[in-house]
Amino acid sequence: MLKLEGVYIKRGSFNVLDNINLSLPAGKTLAVVGESGAGKSTLVAAILGLLKLSRGNITWSDAPVSESAPALVMQEPRSAFNPALPLRRSVLEPLTARKAKVPWDRIERLCHGLELPIEILDRRPSKVSIGQAQRVGILRALIDVPPLVLFDEPLSALDAVSQKHTAKLIADLQRAEGFAALIVTHDIGYAVAHSNEIAVLKSGRLDEVTTPEAFAQQPKSDYCRTLRDAAIALGALERVE
Amino acid sequence: MRSVTVLAIVLVFVAVVGPYLAPYDPVAIDIPKRLSRPSAEFLLGTDALGRDILSRLLYGAQWSLGLAFLISFIGLCLGTAIGLVAALGGKWVDWAVMRTTDTFLAFPDLVAAVVIAGLMGAGTWSLIFALSVTGWMRYARVARGIGLSLETRGYVIQAKLAGLSSLSIARWHYLPSLLPSLTVVWTGMFARAILGISALGFLGFGVQPPVPEWGTMLLDARIHMRSTPLQMIWPGIAVVACVLAINLAGDALRDTLADKENR
Amino acid sequence: MIASLLGLFLRAFVVLSGTALLTFALLWFAPGDPAQAIAMARYDAIVTEEIVDLVRKEAGLDVGFWPAFLSWVGPLVLLDFGNSSVTGRDVWPDMLAAVYYTVPLALAGLFIGLAIALPLAVLATKQPGGLLDRCAVALASLGAAVPAYWLGLLLILLFAVQLGWLPAIGARTPAHAVLPALTLGLGVASSLTRIIRSGILEARGQPFLPAIRRRGVADRKISRDHVAPHAAIPVVTVFGLELAFLLEGAVMVEVIFGRPGLGTFLVTAIESRDFPQVQAVVILTALLFVVVNLLIDLIYRAIDPRIGERNA
Repeated sequence: MLKLEGVYIKRGSFNVLDNINLSLPAGKTLAVVGESGAGKSTLVAAILGLLKLSRGNITWSDAPVSESAPALVMQEPRSAFNPALPLRRSVLEPLTARKAKVPWDRIERLCHGLELPIEILDRRPSKVSIGQAQRVGILRALIDVPPLVLFDEPLSALDAVSQKHTAKLIADLQRAEGFAALIVTHDIGYAVAHSNEIAVLKSGRLDEVTTPEAFAQQPKSDYCRTLRDAAIALGALERVE
Repeated sequence: MRSVTVLAIVLVFVAVVGPYLAPYDPVAIDIPKRLSRPSAEFLLGTDALGRDILSRLLYGAQWSLGLAFLISFIGLCLGTAIGLVAALGGKWVDWAVMRTTDTFLAFPDLVAAVVIAGLMGAGTWSLIFALSVTGWMRYARVARGIGLSLETRGYVIQAKLAGLSSLSIARWHYLPSLLPSLTVVWTGMFARAILGISALGFLGFGVQPPVPEWGTMLLDARIHMRSTPLQMIWPGIAVVACVLAINLAGDALRDTLADKENR
Repeated sequence: MIASLLGLFLRAFVVLSGTALLTFALLWFAPGDPAQAIAMARYDAIVTEEIVDLVRKEAGLDVGFWPAFLSWVGPLVLLDFGNSSVTGRDVWPDMLAAVYYTVPLALAGLFIGLAIALPLAVLATKQPGGLLDRCAVALASLGAAVPAYWLGLLLILLFAVQLGWLPAIGARTPAHAVLPALTLGLGVASSLTRIIRSGILEARGQPFLPAIRRRGVADRKISRDHVAPHAAIPVVTVFGLELAFLLEGAVMVEVIFGRPGLGTFLVTAIESRDFPQVQAVVILTALLFVVVNLLIDLIYRAIDPRIGERNA
C-alpha cells in the first residue's frame, strides 16, 4: 500500500504541495485530477523520490517507496527514450541495471498484450509512432514486475482513437499483472472510467478524495462541480443526473 | 562538412607521410652549406647548421600536429570526465568542481603553461603535461552545461528510476549528446595546442633541439634574421596554415551541427 | 542582491586561494630539488651539500608542505612577496618596475586594437556578406591563427631590418614601444573585430527591431537606443577575454622585443628558478583576473538586471 502522510513541498515560501494525505492499496487504481499547475507532476516526482520532501513521508508497505522500484510512464512517449539507442536497450534498462536475466517469454507476453510486434524493439524512438512509443513505454514500466506504476498523463500525447485503446490496454494489463496504478490526468472521463478512487488536486492541496461514482454524481466541493461540468460540456463525461 | 573531411585527411597525411617525403635527414649537420638560400638543392634553404629546412618542416609536422592531437585529446578526456562529475555529482560536488575550474581559468592558459613547463624543466613530457593541465577547462564547462540540461530529459529520469549507475548514465545517456559540441571545442583546442607547442618551443621551454619542432625552428631562425630572413618565414607559415585550416574546419563543423539542430 | 554579491566575493576568494595553493604545490612538487636549483642559480657554480642545506633553511623549505605554504601565504595578504632567492632583493619593487613597462604596452595594444576593430566591424556590418564584411572576417580568422611572436618577428623584419624605420630591441625611447604595441594591437584587433561584428549582428537580429522600424523610428536612433546596448554585453565580456590575450601577448612580445616588462621578468625568473618571483607574478596575474572578472560580473548586473536574478 502506498501511503502519503502530510506531504509538503516548498519552493521558497510557496507550497507546491500542501499537506497531501493519500493512500493506494496494492492492485488498485487512484486517479489524481486537477488543472495545469495544480501540482500533479510534482506529486509524481515526489512519490518517485526525485524531489526532496519539505515535510511528511511517503511509503510503500511501510518502507521508502524507492525500495519497491516504482515505474513511471511519461507524458511524452518519445522523449522517454534515448534517441540514439534502439528501444530495446531502454526497455531492458531496469534489468541491466541490476544485471538480471532477461525474461524473454515475459517480454513476448507483454508485447502481445500491448499489441506490439517484438521486432519493434530494434528500432530507434524516432522510427515508431507516438502510440507505439507510448506502449513501449508501458512495456518498459512493467518489465521488472513493479508493484506500483505511476502514469503521468499517459494518454494526452495520443490521438482520440489510440487514447481509448491504450486506456483499455492499461486496464487489461493491470488486471493480469496486479500492480497498483496511480494515474495523473486532466482527463476527467478517463479518471472516472478507470479508477477506484479519484483525488482532486487544486493549487497544491487536496480538494476532495472520492469514488468515481460520487464524483460523477454529486461532487461535494464547488471546484469539483466545475471540473465535472466542464468535462460534461466537452462530452468527456456522460450526464448521470 | 566535406571541407572538414578533406582537411582532416590532408593533416593526417602530412603528419604521417611527411617524413617520407623529406629529401634529407632533418638533423644531419652540414656546416659548409649553412644558411644557404632556397635553391634546387635545398628548396627552402638551410639553417645555421646546414640542415635542410624543408625536411625539418616535414618532420616537424609530426611533432607539432601529433603532440597537439595528443594534448587536445588528453584535455578532451580530462575535461569531459570533470564536467560530467560536476553535472552528475549533485549540488556540492558541482560547486567544488566548478570553483576548481574557475581557478584554472583565472589565468591566461599560455602563461600558466609557460610557468608549469618552465618549472618542471624543459622537455617534451613537461610540455604535454603543461598544455594538457591548462587545456581541459573549456571541455569541462561545455560538458557540465549540456549535462545539466539533460538532467530533466525523460530518458535520464527513467534511467535513474531504473537504478542505473551514474557511470552508465554518463556513458550511455550523456556522452552521445555531448560529443558533437565537444568535437567543436576540440577543434579549437587542437589549434590552440599547436600555437601553445610552438610558443613554448619558441621560449625554449618546449621540445628540445635537435628535434625539428616549428617553434624551436623559429627560435633558431630568429638570430639569423638579418642574413637569411626567409628561414624565419617558413615555420611561421606552417603554424599559421595549420591553425587557420583547423579553425575554419571547426567553424564549418559548428555550422553543420547548428543546422542539424535547427532542422 | 547582497547575498549574491557576497557569493561573488566568496567565489573570488576561493579562486584566489586555489591559485595560491596550486602555484605553491607546483613549485613544491616540481621535479628536482628547489634548494639545489636556487643555490645553482645564485652562486653560478658547483655547489656543495652544505650550501644547499643552508639555502633550504633560509628559504623556509625544510619544514614540510603545509607549514611552508602557510608561512608563504600569510605575508601575501599584505602584498609582501618575500625576497628573490637569486638576488636577495625584495620582489615587490622589482616586479612593480616591470609592471610599469607592461601596463602602458597592454593599454597601447588595447587602444590600437579598438581603433582598428571598432570602425572595421561597424563598416563591415553595414552590409553583411558584402566585400568589406568578408574581408573583415578573413582578417579576423587570419589574425586568430598568427602567433604573436611570429607577427612580432615579421614586423621587426619589415620595419627594423628591411626598412630601418624603427628600433626593435629594448625600451629606451618611445619609438621602441611602437612595434611591440603594434604587434599586440593587431592581435587584439582580430579578435575584437570578430566579437564586435557578431555582437552587432546579433543585436540587430533582435525580434522587436522590425516592429520599431515599421513604427517609423529613424535608423540612427534605432542603432543608438536599441542595437548598441545589446552589443554592449558581449563587449564587456570581451574585455575580460582580451585581458587574458593581452597578458599572454605581452609575455611573448616582451621577450621578442627585449622589453624589461612582466613577461621578461617571468621568463627570467623561471629560467633561474627564482621561486618567490615566479609566485609573485602568478599571484599578481590571478589577482588581476579575479578583480576584473568581479568587475565584469558587477557591470553585467548593472546592464542586465536579469543576470543577478538568474544566479541568485
